[in-house]
Amino acid sequence: MYKILPKADLPRLIEKWMEQATVYAPVRQGDFTKFEPLSDPAQADLYYAANTRYPPKSLFLPQSEVMFRVKGSEFEPTGDEVSSRVVLGIHACDTRALQLLDGVFVDRDYQDPYWARKREQTTLVVLGCANPCETCFCTSVGSGPFDKRGADVMLIDLGNEYVADVRSEKGQVLFDHLPDASQEQIDASRQVQAAAAAKMKKPFETEGLKDKLYNLFESGFWATIQQSCLGCGVCTFLCPTCYCFDIVDEVQRNERVRNWDTCMFRIYSQEASGHNPRPTNTERTRQRIMHKYAYFVDLFNEIGCTGCGRCVRYCPVNLDIRQIIRSAQAWEES
Amino acid sequence: MNSLTLAIRQEAARLLEEKIVDVVIGFEAGTLPLKAQPAFITRKEEAEKLVFNGFCQNNLAAYLTRFPKEKRLGIICRGCESRAVRALVIEHQHDRDKLYLIGVPCTGIIDWRKIERRVGENTLQAREEGDEVIVTTRDGEHRFRRADVLHDSCARCLHPNPVGADIVLGDPLPEGDPERAWAPVLEFEALPPEERYAYFVQETGRCIRCYACREACPMCYCTECFVDHTAPRWTESMITPGGTQAWHIVRAFHQAGRCVSCGACERACPMDIKMTYLVDKLSYDMMQQYGFEVGASDEKQPPFAAFTLDDRNRFVR
Repeated sequence: MYKILPKADLPRLIEKWMEQATVYAPVRQGDFTKFEPLSDPAQADLYYAANTRYPPKSLFLPQSEVMFRVKGSEFEPTGDEVSSRVVLGIHACDTRALQLLDGVFVDRDYQDPYWARKREQTTLVVLGCANPCETCFCTSVGSGPFDKRGADVMLIDLGNEYVADVRSEKGQVLFDHLPDASQEQIDASRQVQAAAAAKMKKPFETEGLKDKLYNLFESGFWATIQQSCLGCGVCTFLCPTCYCFDIVDEVQRNERVRNWDTCMFRIYSQEASGHNPRPTNTERTRQRIMHKYAYFVDLFNEIGCTGCGRCVRYCPVNLDIRQIIRSAQAWEES
Repeated sequence: MNSLTLAIRQEAARLLEEKIVDVVIGFEAGTLPLKAQPAFITRKEEAEKLVFNGFCQNNLAAYLTRFPKEKRLGIICRGCESRAVRALVIEHQHDRDKLYLIGVPCTGIIDWRKIERRVGENTLQAREEGDEVIVTTRDGEHRFRRADVLHDSCARCLHPNPVGADIVLGDPLPEGDPERAWAPVLEFEALPPEERYAYFVQETGRCIRCYACREACPMCYCTECFVDHTAPRWTESMITPGGTQAWHIVRAFHQAGRCVSCGACERACPMDIKMTYLVDKLSYDMMQQYGFEVGASDEKQPPFAAFTLDDRNRFVR
């Protein structure tokens, strides 16, 4: 179902949604955008082309989250029940990431109720990328700037209006009352999508990559590429698909909380005995790359990277995952 | 290619050929136009990879403590890197005679954030030409005066020339202006406490505790940082103000008399958090109260690390 939404009508539409739900959209904060709940539709900045600096996975897996409190000998839920939410202007890569993480949090043997509840309560109104950034590489990892998987609605920018490709019942609720798009508009939106994907460079090929990485497991490759790595958490914390967390009892407050954690930190794999199975940056860098491009593929038959480019842009030493993959493909053990 | 790059390549190749060092730590071209990558050169043929320009944004001295002490390291040292190396040697982190410092007077690091703020995120090419930085984006060419796009720490740099280097490539530069260097400290100090606190709250409020500031810093080398200590735990674990503010305050205090004012922490921060203003104040106090400046001497210990048996305070005895 294709609907048409003149851009001038968007604020009114957001206002209407705000009557029923909390609406999140990218909001300018200094030099970047971050998803925030809107108090005024004008706060939404959909024209800032780049991805939000901070990944929207935080709307489903907050960086710090209280799981429950203990009062006397009783457990108390946190009371942060999620009401209905609309996430507007999330890009295809970040939407795809949520879908990949569903595999981790809800589709397998164990269900994470914190994640699942927020996912159920949320409608994703995705904004396709007509002008992908130089550091984007979604088309290299099996996705694209208008990848519709996981989207309730995909907005395609035609200049003065959006064509809304409504893809789920949740999406229909938000867009039902709008006029249908004409065949001409639908055709124009297809052109925008094809043109965007065609503009993107392909920094690497993934054919045979998983096997290549397994073959490199014990090689000198990892020690070579990790040399400049500082061992900070920028790449993993900004990554839309990294989901590791650490559970801590904040005993002073009688709270059990969970915080994002990262395999790039030494203490991530530090065991109580004092032993660390990933003692150096070499093993840790290997883990990060292998998880995304080999283990995730084994588990879910999908690459665990959506090509958003955040790690590329914000790594303090310009250690570029695209270059790592290219080097891995080319590596010959001497 | 600039003449400094050429001189650095020649010197690196010589050091490796004559087996004076095991590895030369420098920079090579990055994958993004406004950035270079740290490079670790072990064979003289690879010296050709080295580059040196205003896009070399890391403090290479941060790698010194990542090598075993028996390794002989050649390090490209700008003013700040050379002062960090001095401070690290004083703190026994490497033997000076296992280091070969290739000194390079520095005209300052280009702040990619300042450029992107003006031209957007899609730079295709960037180069320096004299006092200009020329950036090509999808919309065409943009020219900047170098002075307008320097990183803040570099714009107020006091000592662009390397200290204690084994060789200096390039011509010495005039020293920085102390009045300009300390002006931000005095201006911030003059604000009412509630405004200073509000600024601190606003900046730390964006912190995601990725510790890029710590890892990029040459002087942060503890095997176990206080925030990583789990038994007992010393800090709040969450990204609440109690966690992020504690991190920034304690990090700053641990730098008293040790910070070399290179600004690597701010350049590494993925959330654009301003933090040098905290340590700059401590550096100012070290100057005023102890007459101490990091890197000024190759033997004087930082005042808060030093003690003597004839200290006039009883508590150290």
